[in-house]
Amino acid sequence: MQDWFIALIMMMVYLVIALAIGMFAGRGRGGSLNEFVVAGGKLGMFVMLFLMGGAVLSAFSFLGAPGWAFTRGAPAYYIIIYIAFAILPWYLIGPKIGRIGRKYGLYTLVGFLQTRYKLKTLGVLVGIIALLGFIQYLATQMKGMAYIFNIMTDGRIPFWLGALLAYGIVVIYVATGGLRAAAWSDVFQGILMIVISWTIGLAVVFQLHGSPSSMFMNIHEMDPGFLQIGKEGSTMSSVGFTTTILVSLMGFLMWPHLFSKSYASRPKTIKKTVLAYPVFALFLIPLLLAGFAAVGVVEQGTVEADEILPYLITTVLELPGWLYGLVGAGALAAAMSSADAITHSASLEFTSGVVQNIKEDLSEKTVLIIMKVAVITIGGLAYFVTIFGGQGLIALLLGAYGSIVQFAPGVYGALYSKRISGVGVTIGLVAGTVINYYYQLAAPATPFDIHAGIMGLMVNILIVVVVSLIQKPKQEEVVEGYTKAS
Amino acid sequence: MSKQKFEWIYCSVLLVTFLPVVFPVFELANHTTPLVLGLPFSFFWVLMWVIIAFITVICLYFVDPEKDNDEGAE
Repeated sequence: MQDWFIALIMMMVYLVIALAIGMFAGRGRGGSLNEFVVAGGKLGMFVMLFLMGGAVLSAFSFLGAPGWAFTRGAPAYYIIIYIAFAILPWYLIGPKIGRIGRKYGLYTLVGFLQTRYKLKTLGVLVGIIALLGFIQYLATQMKGMAYIFNIMTDGRIPFWLGALLAYGIVVIYVATGGLRAAAWSDVFQGILMIVISWTIGLAVVFQLHGSPSSMFMNIHEMDPGFLQIGKEGSTMSSVGFTTTILVSLMGFLMWPHLFSKSYASRPKTIKKTVLAYPVFALFLIPLLLAGFAAVGVVEQGTVEADEILPYLITTVLELPGWLYGLVGAGALAAAMSSADAITHSASLEFTSGVVQNIKEDLSEKTVLIIMKVAVITIGGLAYFVTIFGGQGLIALLLGAYGSIVQFAPGVYGALYSKRISGVGVTIGLVAGTVINYYYQLAAPATPFDIHAGIMGLMVNILIVVVVSLIQKPKQEEVVEGYTKAS
Repeated sequence: MSKQKFEWIYCSVLLVTFLPVVFPVFELANHTTPLVLGLPFSFFWVLMWVIIAFITVICLYFVDPEKDNDEGAE
């Protein structure tokens, strides 16, 4: 049998298993709104760990991280740093958000902000930015899926079909089974991903270089700056490195699909999930090693950064077809386990931020139907953007993706301050988003190489502080309710 | 230990373990040699602080006054 055929069969088997697990997990749970949105609020630690881990380790980690190591060198460490440290604040804020959620019946980030600040504009704004950011996130995952199918079958499965197959399955199990389906398929996908990345990462290093030591010594002798940051020959400045970490770190828990997991579990589960999390952060080590292994072996510029891992497997190394298939399945697992959580959350945020703000008195049953329709609509939208999206649209989405971190002042303010003003948060969010768009897309460079998101965040925080000091604080029950939960 | 005090200690631990992996402190480790466990010193340094952070957080969990407060359980 030919290699591509074996690989294709393995990937199809993987897809069937993922679909079966997703469909099976969601069955027989009564199909209530609460079950769909937060799985009854009682996901256990094991499932929660994989849900968080699976959402974070996406096509970006599986294909992007080796790409960073290959083209940028040492700055790739930023990925491990932010993924490891970003989860830690959740230990403190996760249980608080969960408590607030139970008190006020919340299940989204939009709901969290709107209940505290009582501003429709803010809710709609957050709903729209989140939706655009989500579509960008989904598009990245889908490109990963499509690309993997394409390269592993020597171009026999076209882009549109690969994305449709893999993402179609995600949409089906999310629409039918909600959060629980996403969670259980993430357990399967997560285990697969960890095993595959360690196997492949180490195999690549040992086959090409004999050992990690000789690999790194070779790179060091060839180009010492490559393994340093902010030095001659380095690919990133020290300010760039630090602010990129900061923005990713703070933005992480502001992603609604991660934020809203606080509602789906009890405090003890959240805390234990944080403790067990390094398993996922360490999953990036072999992927970075694989990227470094390509340095000096593959000439820079011959392949796109994100394509280096599959390129190594299929072109540089002579590996059997079943190994192709394994890498293919691993990459699909990485992309799909992010796509399911995001699709689920996007449908929730959109329904609560936009639909329920326009029409208020909807019955629970109607809301559930709207959410399921939203899963399919958002899924379809993201698919068309991925396959047919033009330059302008892509820029719009990229800007929104970079603007998620601008939710942070509003979230932390609600948890820790009685004075913080909703008007301030709204104006700050708009200003921060505009500045982020400007520096990310229009300006040639930022001052001192500071990350565009941090530029926006500085102005955002300044506005929030100034407006909150000017405005008289409101005496409301909900203000107390939020900070008391802390 | 009171809840406030625990939160304060938790945040300090976060800061102390995080600062070494960003500039300016990271400059101390911003070089390739000596290799440790086959990895560049800077890579090893990053992993070391990640592991230290998580070990400390695991220890903190055991002294968390709210550890067994599991409201929402039925």
